[in-house]
Amino acid sequence: MADSEPANQKPAGRTALISVGRIWTIAASTFTQLVRMKTFYFLLAFAVLLVAAGNLNILFSAVEQLSMIKKVSFGTMDLFAWLFAIVATALLIPRDLEDRTLYTILSKPVLRIEYLLGKLIGVLVVILLSLVTMFVIFSALLHIRTIDFLHTEVAILEQAGRSQEMIQAEAEAIIAQGLRKEMWVALWAIFLKSAVVASVTIFLSTIASSSLFTIIISTIIFLVGHASQMMIDFWKDQFVDNIVVKMLAGLFRIIVPDYQIFSFYEGIILGEKVLPHLVWSMTGMSLFYVGVFLLLGLLVFFDKEF
Amino acid sequence: MRAILEKYPRWIPIVAVILVFGLIRTPIEKSLRSQLIETHLLQPPPARTTLGALKQSSLMGMLGGLRSMVAVYLTLKAYEHFGVMEWDEVESTYDLITSLEPREEFHWVHRIWHRGINAVASVEVNDDLTPAERQRRFDLYSTQAIEIGEAALEQLPNSVKIREQMAEVYREKLRDYCGAAKMYGEMKDLPGAMQYSTRFYGYFLAKCPGNEQKAYDHLYGLYVETMSNLDRKGERGFVDHRAPTLIITLKELEEKLDIPISQRIPDPHPDEGLKRRNRPTGRLPGGVGIP
Repeated sequence: MADSEPANQKPAGRTALISVGRIWTIAASTFTQLVRMKTFYFLLAFAVLLVAAGNLNILFSAVEQLSMIKKVSFGTMDLFAWLFAIVATALLIPRDLEDRTLYTILSKPVLRIEYLLGKLIGVLVVILLSLVTMFVIFSALLHIRTIDFLHTEVAILEQAGRSQEMIQAEAEAIIAQGLRKEMWVALWAIFLKSAVVASVTIFLSTIASSSLFTIIISTIIFLVGHASQMMIDFWKDQFVDNIVVKMLAGLFRIIVPDYQIFSFYEGIILGEKVLPHLVWSMTGMSLFYVGVFLLLGLLVFFDKEF
Repeated sequence: MRAILEKYPRWIPIVAVILVFGLIRTPIEKSLRSQLIETHLLQPPPARTTLGALKQSSLMGMLGGLRSMVAVYLTLKAYEHFGVMEWDEVESTYDLITSLEPREEFHWVHRIWHRGINAVASVEVNDDLTPAERQRRFDLYSTQAIEIGEAALEQLPNSVKIREQMAEVYREKLRDYCGAAKMYGEMKDLPGAMQYSTRFYGYFLAKCPGNEQKAYDHLYGLYVETMSNLDRKGERGFVDHRAPTLIITLKELEEKLDIPISQRIPDPHPDEGLKRRNRPTGRLPGGVGIP
């Protein structure tokens, strides 16, 4: 019986409970893998873009220029987050296959869900860290520009002999465009969107045989997901009484994720009030998405032979 | 789970999960979407005409969730058109910008300003146009500016700046003092309105035929309010409405309305009343001196 397993020991490669430790190990190695791909070089480009946008003094007012800095910054953060979520996630499983790391991992007592979850968390940690770094760069620039504009504008208005009331109003308008704590919520909204995008991509990458396919399909789903409401409205307008179109529109809504609702950061940077219950609901919705797409990924991946 | 999955083709549970998930999330998403739009955190999808007018790159950007970035890019494009006085392009670009970001106040203010002040002023001095064409464009642009302002107020009903810009078009270009008075009248009670808006309401109401008595009552009320609070002069919150224009307008109205001598306001002290306050220091922004 020397070659048989002891009765109380599970066969190699199988383990009963999900281990946070194993997930974290895979996430950490994914993080290292992505950092080695020189991901953070993007931050340099971001800083340059921001400084350029911050010094583009062709617009009419201080308020408008500060607003532009915010829009360019958050737009770039959003672009980076979803693009990185798609590309990095699509690359990970094929790269592990190519490097044969996948065989080493899966031959150990690691659950497939642990592998998928570890990969996803690794990608999300890189995204979160990049977003926070970008936010810190943005905050510093916005703060400097706000102070700068405040001094300049107040000095100009005082010199022009404007009333104290007018100076106060201008100063308040400039301060309103400056840093607000709600901007962290805007950052969180971008992160939530990228988490959903990454989970959809990880599901697709378990089906696909190449990264290119995953990237293309994920991008298409992303774009369609953003335009889904517009498309549904259009169909309903065009074919008011057509029951078939109505059913197809319903099916389309059921299948395609609505990515547009995750763009609520745009309202926050325009200065709209943030309602905590909506932020919690959006967080819950994102977790729901991540959970379901991980489950779908697992359905494909759990007995996949490599 | 393995037994179930081995029994059926793999696509069946996958499709089932997608459908069940879709059925659960669709009503939740619908409710979240309407709440986000209601609180203005999310912009409703732009009109089809806007989408049709967007160039391919801007459209892709917008579909990629970069609505604000597209708006910034279009603002720069509008500035470019403004630089070479292509007024119709300025207007069409701002039309797109305000469709993309209808809640951004300064887009609307600039749109009204470009159409109602800049384009109109440019037409006024354009010697290449015949007088008839000049007049036609003057009427068209200034009327369009007011229509834009009305559309803007539907989006931002409490905006002081939009009303201020509309008042400028009424006042400076259309010479419609009743329209200007209406704007200042709406403005004066809004949060963030400047103190002068309540006086301006009276001044332009005085120039609006048939409203002289109303204007007199309003301006006289401001005068009396200031006089009764004179002991608070210098304190925070004290507003001195005794501006030279207010005194002059009141005196003109007293004459026009034939107010009894005993009820008329006294002539201002020669050193105080008509003295111009907040006189400019004789320097322009940036320290440039006025010759």
